[in-house]
Amino acid sequence: MNTTTSPFDRDSLGKPVVGPDPKALFAFGHLLRETEKLILDLFSQGLVSGTTHTCLGQELCQLAVVRALNDPDDHVLSNHRNHGHFLTYSGDFTGLVAEIMGRASGVCGGFGGSQHIAYRHFHSNGVQAGMTAIGTGIALALKAKRSKGIVAIVIGDGTLGEGLLYESMNLAAVWNAPVLFVVEHNGIAQTTYTRHTIGGDIAARGQAFGLATWRVDDCDPEFIAKTTGVVEQLRANGGPGMLIIDTGRLGPHSKGDDLRPAEEREALRLRDPLRKLAENLDPAEVTAIEAANKVFLDAVESSAMASPPATFDTTPQHAFRMAVEKDFVNAAPLSANVRQALNDALGQLLAHDEAVVVLGEDLHDPYGGAFKVTAGLSSKFPDRVISTPISEAGITGAGIGLAMASKKPVIEIMFADFLTLCMDQIYNHAVKFPGMFPDTRVPLVIRTPCGGRRGYGPTHSQSPENIFVAVPGLSVVYGSHRHNPGQLLINAVERWPNPTLFLEHKLLYGEKVDPQDYEPLAGGADDLGATLFPTIRRGASDPDITLLSYGGMLPVAERAARQLEDDDELLVEIVAPALLAPLPRQSLLALLANRPRILVVEESHPHFGFGAEILATLAENGFTGKVARLGTPPAPIAAARSLESAQLPDEEAIVAAVLGMLQ
Amino acid sequence: MATPIRAPRINNNDDEVKVLAFDVQPGTLVKSGQIVGQIETDKAVLDVESPADGYVLGLLAKPDDVVKVGSILLWLGESPDEPMPEAPDEPKAGARALGETTAKARLLLSKHGLRADAIQPIDGRITVEAIEKHLAARGGSQSAVNRTMAPDRSPEPAPDVPGVAVSLSKEEKGMAATVLWHRDQAVAGYVEIEYDLAPWAEYAKRLQDEKGWMMSPLLSLMAWRLTQAVAKNPRLNATLLNGQRYEYATINLGFTIQAGEALYLAVVRDAGQMDEPTFVNALGDLQRRAAGHKLREAETSGATIGFSSMERWKVTRHIPILPPQTAFMVAHAAGRDGKGILGASYDHRILNGAQVVGALRHLARPATN
Repeated sequence: MNTTTSPFDRDSLGKPVVGPDPKALFAFGHLLRETEKLILDLFSQGLVSGTTHTCLGQELCQLAVVRALNDPDDHVLSNHRNHGHFLTYSGDFTGLVAEIMGRASGVCGGFGGSQHIAYRHFHSNGVQAGMTAIGTGIALALKAKRSKGIVAIVIGDGTLGEGLLYESMNLAAVWNAPVLFVVEHNGIAQTTYTRHTIGGDIAARGQAFGLATWRVDDCDPEFIAKTTGVVEQLRANGGPGMLIIDTGRLGPHSKGDDLRPAEEREALRLRDPLRKLAENLDPAEVTAIEAANKVFLDAVESSAMASPPATFDTTPQHAFRMAVEKDFVNAAPLSANVRQALNDALGQLLAHDEAVVVLGEDLHDPYGGAFKVTAGLSSKFPDRVISTPISEAGITGAGIGLAMASKKPVIEIMFADFLTLCMDQIYNHAVKFPGMFPDTRVPLVIRTPCGGRRGYGPTHSQSPENIFVAVPGLSVVYGSHRHNPGQLLINAVERWPNPTLFLEHKLLYGEKVDPQDYEPLAGGADDLGATLFPTIRRGASDPDITLLSYGGMLPVAERAARQLEDDDELLVEIVAPALLAPLPRQSLLALLANRPRILVVEESHPHFGFGAEILATLAENGFTGKVARLGTPPAPIAAARSLESAQLPDEEAIVAAVLGMLQ
Repeated sequence: MATPIRAPRINNNDDEVKVLAFDVQPGTLVKSGQIVGQIETDKAVLDVESPADGYVLGLLAKPDDVVKVGSILLWLGESPDEPMPEAPDEPKAGARALGETTAKARLLLSKHGLRADAIQPIDGRITVEAIEKHLAARGGSQSAVNRTMAPDRSPEPAPDVPGVAVSLSKEEKGMAATVLWHRDQAVAGYVEIEYDLAPWAEYAKRLQDEKGWMMSPLLSLMAWRLTQAVAKNPRLNATLLNGQRYEYATINLGFTIQAGEALYLAVVRDAGQMDEPTFVNALGDLQRRAAGHKLREAETSGATIGFSSMERWKVTRHIPILPPQTAFMVAHAAGRDGKGILGASYDHRILNGAQVVGALRHLARPATN
């Protein structure tokens, strides 16, 4: 415990109070600078693992906006160069230093290091522009609850090359969300001068999106007052804005990568706004401040050094949160078709849970979504069924932000093929936060139609589950008309507090929801989510062949099974999981361990995917029967129906594969 | 020349539409632009208009039919008696050429070591029924499919008392097959001897301490000792086959394990190749997986010799059922006052009482070294 007197006061939430006068600004700015120097010193001693990015020279720039945020709902979404933002927001100097050192008392227990930090309403991550859409989603949630809070999304000028930033600026404008995009313009991205990488004018970017746009210089004597004014103005207006701060990076990008000429570095040293502040103070005051900060940082260093290296109680084997037990209205067990079942479920979710919000392209009436799954819903819930720009990554990020702000977002991506546009938001953000930060929840559901047999061609026909089952921490639910798709969706939104990809095969939308003689398998004790998203089976308990299939392949597998039973007298079992990841290994193993032959049938490319995983699991557990995989060969799916039908497995292909296994 | 009116596409993402109604009948004269019927998708109803003047020659769908977009709903002709063109055949997947032998029949041929040309096909195909007929004619009374219920006996009359027929589980079927083999094939005898418990208890305790085993290895050690008895007398590990003694080349030791309601005969394969601790570990592994009902098929079949203990239930004497095609099964029980009973069921066709007693005496004491 650090008992040294803090050189700054805190407000009721623990945030440092940094006054607007030169003395207070210098005191805190100097503390930031000395902290960065301490971190570099520890780095040079080999006490910091990984990497770190300091804000040397940018201390006033980093503290100016954050110090002006005084509403309890205000958020800061930062980036790799975040130390100044974090310390101004939290005042947790020991927490930051220990975190960067990988010590147990680090603010995130050593999980995040320098770049990935979550603390109250402060979040940073290590992918450029990655937090911009998330911040916009949080701002949308703040607006929905009529909060006066705003979201400051801080980027560097190097990030102006990232496309997601512009999706986020557009979303913030369209939603009139209280977001302040702060561009810390230091003129250099790692080692590249941004004058070589930025086309056009920076401020024109904000203006083009209709954002209130300001540009200030951290050397301006009025810098702090102007910045504070920007924050107050944005809060008063309630809409989005962009603030460009011209600043100068004194240090390297990270460490040892400052290749700028000596004269340029000298010019930056002379420009240094912190140094200028000191020059206008009484030297005795400066000396006193420096001394007090040294005492404080010595104590911070000792405290961080005294903390043991971070350790796990038990090394985590997954990043899923446990299912939530709660009462909620059930979906009807039978329905005219899958489309209607999903539409009814969305209607129930919106009617009975005000946190549910549905976002996607073309969702509004009378169109009601490309596959009509949201038909009628925007008329009933106009504020919570939101048609968005064509910005798949942006709306996925906004969904993450909404989820972090206690909403239950359901995002519709028009075709599963476009999920690749969302990948960074899923892979580096949605699934990372719950695994890293115990207090951060991301109950996000991404619904999307997938699969072929419609002649839509290579970029509208794919079954990409083989890619997404491999994303750690992502749940992949892929039901069918034999499951209860409405209940699967309700369970995903209300009872499964994890980022979830919810796949819907296009050809199943018109299929009647009817479980027929399928029975659910009891989930094993270790099978997370297996009760909410059950595996079902039908057919002989001592089968000659087991068809393991799911989603849109299920009707095809059923037709093949009928042929095999009728024409070849075989006993056929069909097993259809609804949860592809996390794989319900225990219950599948218990069922399949002694089967003589298993054919996995998937519409996806069969390599490296679901089928590969389940068969590997069987092999690892001593399975001695015959196995085979059947799927779509790894080539683009053609548009012509005649070509497409030659590529996607049909019942004849399944029958042939089964007969082949019996040779 | 006749003109078709086809089912139109309403929605880009719907390939099928439902026919709601026709407003015309064969023989009706319709004008271009006249509504001839209605179709719908999930979300919209659409009038179908005639593209031309003409007489309705015939309807190719009826209300409530779900038809493919582009399929013909009706034909128009220039005169009411013009013949309706035959609809071009929709290309459809050619019927699969069925093999001469069904896949299931192929499995059975392989299982019974039969050649397909030995079987008289039924309706041109070799089916399960055809093979069963062949087997029956050959004299084998066993059903190819349900051979677990072996002997050909007249079916039992239905009881007078009302009740419910409950299917047997896989394990229960196995038990029934075992008991029937014991009754119908083996000529079973039983003998027992009394023995001192202390040497075995001390031996097991010493090994448990030495190896750090969690559970007492007593029964596993006795079962391993049984595999050593086979080395002295191979006929313990044998069965009678076609009038000859068939001595097995490997020792597959069956060990009864009760797991909940299920009684398993877990089989340690190639037990004769294992040293004592390997065997104890292998059997321990089987016991753990039996408890979780996770035994594989190969681990519950193929026993050549058996060991059964009812000590757990404090039973002091029991007569085990011989598993199919085994000749010797040890019966271990709870002791009393330092003495225990060691018995064995045996197939008298290949073992006599003296041989069995010899084996039991061998088992009654642990190895002296």
